[in-house]
Amino acid sequence: MPKKYDTPLLNELEKGPWPSFVTEIKKAAAWNKMAADELGQLEKSYRTRLVYWKHGGIVGVRGYGGGIIGRYSELPDEFPEVAHFHTVRINQPTGWFYSTDALRMTCDIWDKYGSGLTNMHGSTGDMVLLGTRTESLEPIFAEFSSRGWDLGGSGSAMRTPSACIGQARCEWANIDSLDICNEMTQEFQDEMHRPAFPYKFKIKVSGCACDCVAAIARADCSIIGTWKGDIKIDQDAVKWYAKNGTDIQNWIVDMCPTKCMSYDGKELKIDNKNCNRCMHCISKMTKALKAGDEKGATICIGSKAPIVVGSLLSWVIVPFIKVEPPYDNLRALIRKMIEWWDEYAKPRERIGELIESKGMRSFLEYIGVPPVPQQIKEPRKDPFWFFHGDDIENIKKLEAEEKKTGKYKF
Amino acid sequence: MEVEEIKKKIFEVLEKAKGKKKLKEKDVCRIVSEETGVDKEEVKRILRSIIDEGKLCYSYSGGASSVEIPSEEYLKEKGML
Ligand code: SF4
Ligand code: SF4
Repeated sequence: MPKKYDTPLLNELEKGPWPSFVTEIKKAAAWNKMAADELGQLEKSYRTRLVYWKHGGIVGVRGYGGGIIGRYSELPDEFPEVAHFHTVRINQPTGWFYSTDALRMTCDIWDKYGSGLTNMHGSTGDMVLLGTRTESLEPIFAEFSSRGWDLGGSGSAMRTPSACIGQARCEWANIDSLDICNEMTQEFQDEMHRPAFPYKFKIKVSGCACDCVAAIARADCSIIGTWKGDIKIDQDAVKWYAKNGTDIQNWIVDMCPTKCMSYDGKELKIDNKNCNRCMHCISKMTKALKAGDEKGATICIGSKAPIVVGSLLSWVIVPFIKVEPPYDNLRALIRKMIEWWDEYAKPRERIGELIESKGMRSFLEYIGVPPVPQQIKEPRKDPFWFFHGDDIENIKKLEAEEKKTGKYKF
Repeated sequence: MEVEEIKKKIFEVLEKAKGKKKLKEKDVCRIVSEETGVDKEEVKRILRSIIDEGKLCYSYSGGASSVEIPSEEYLKEKGML
């Protein structure tokens, strides 16, 4: 196909050492009319500094309320091939493991019905297929669903849960992030495809505090693998690291955020009660340091990007919870969180914002989690909890029960 | 109350709200349930069956999802008319 538009401004974005989205759109534009008009409209946007997309609306697949994001050009006469330019979100395989066959199949379907442009992956985690027409939506869905794939979430719904690669490839994983993510995806199918929430709700699962899926910053409910007990130290391996050029004092000990490590040039020591299990030392000296044996997860709540009001980071709600199949405790806890939010939230209010406005006490009481010091997000920050007379007694009872039974409540 | 009557009521509620207020699935169920005395879960089941037939659709605007009666233009775009 001959070049349709001159793009002097977009060409600037091809300079420099990094891969350029402009180059990729140009490659697609060589054979795909939609991609060519997308390039033309984008150049015009850079020139006029105006956006020409209309977003949202009724566009979707029959029976589904999520997975398709309607997009129409405001300039259909000038750029007719992008008059419709809807986005399709496909629920990614957990941990983003694909066979090459699956990737080829995806691209073949998208070349047939869409612009050929993809975004792997959207910030929620889905495969994002950019630009198709309304009449192609049902055929696209039929192509994917007949091969066992499904749409992801969008709108005021449960968004597609995502997880780090976890135990499949990572020795630091404290929990099976892949299995948890898959189970939560199955659990909340109805909530993903039939948007009935006040706003979006995201679940992300990281196997450890390195948090490769940025659960702490991007999920309403962050599930992050952790451990109880002491970090296991292999002093011979510590010596090996020192001998092979690791500056243990500067790179490990001095960078421990709680300053709970010490090193005398021979022996590495950790004051475990002050360790916050950040993973820094373990990730730097994997052969020498291992997480404690008792594995579980920390559940945090409330992070979000800065839409509507400012961004929030998650904060700890449950410092340690066992997460093992069939994850009934996790399912019940998340359902409780959602119930409370659904009951009280205004439209477009995320759960973190609601906790800030309605108070932590109301939230914790509803979900049945006692107040604990770890829930205090920042030093000297109001923990949103005013203790009533019987609170202390209840916590003591719970602790005594935990000790007796060995079973962790929250 | 017959299913057909509940369906009619659902359309009535959505027709009345058209252009004035976006109704979420939950709102429709609540209003229809209040006005007919039918259990909210039953209204939800019937509402979803209408959505599955394509006679009602979920819609998305400004970050919030609602339920709407699709326009003729949209049904034509989809090849459903
Ligand atoms: S979050 Fe931790 S367990 Fe998961 S991939 Fe990253 S480092 Fe590994
Ligand atoms: S895990 Fe983090 S806090 Fe704990 S000892 Fe290592 S560096 Fe320090």
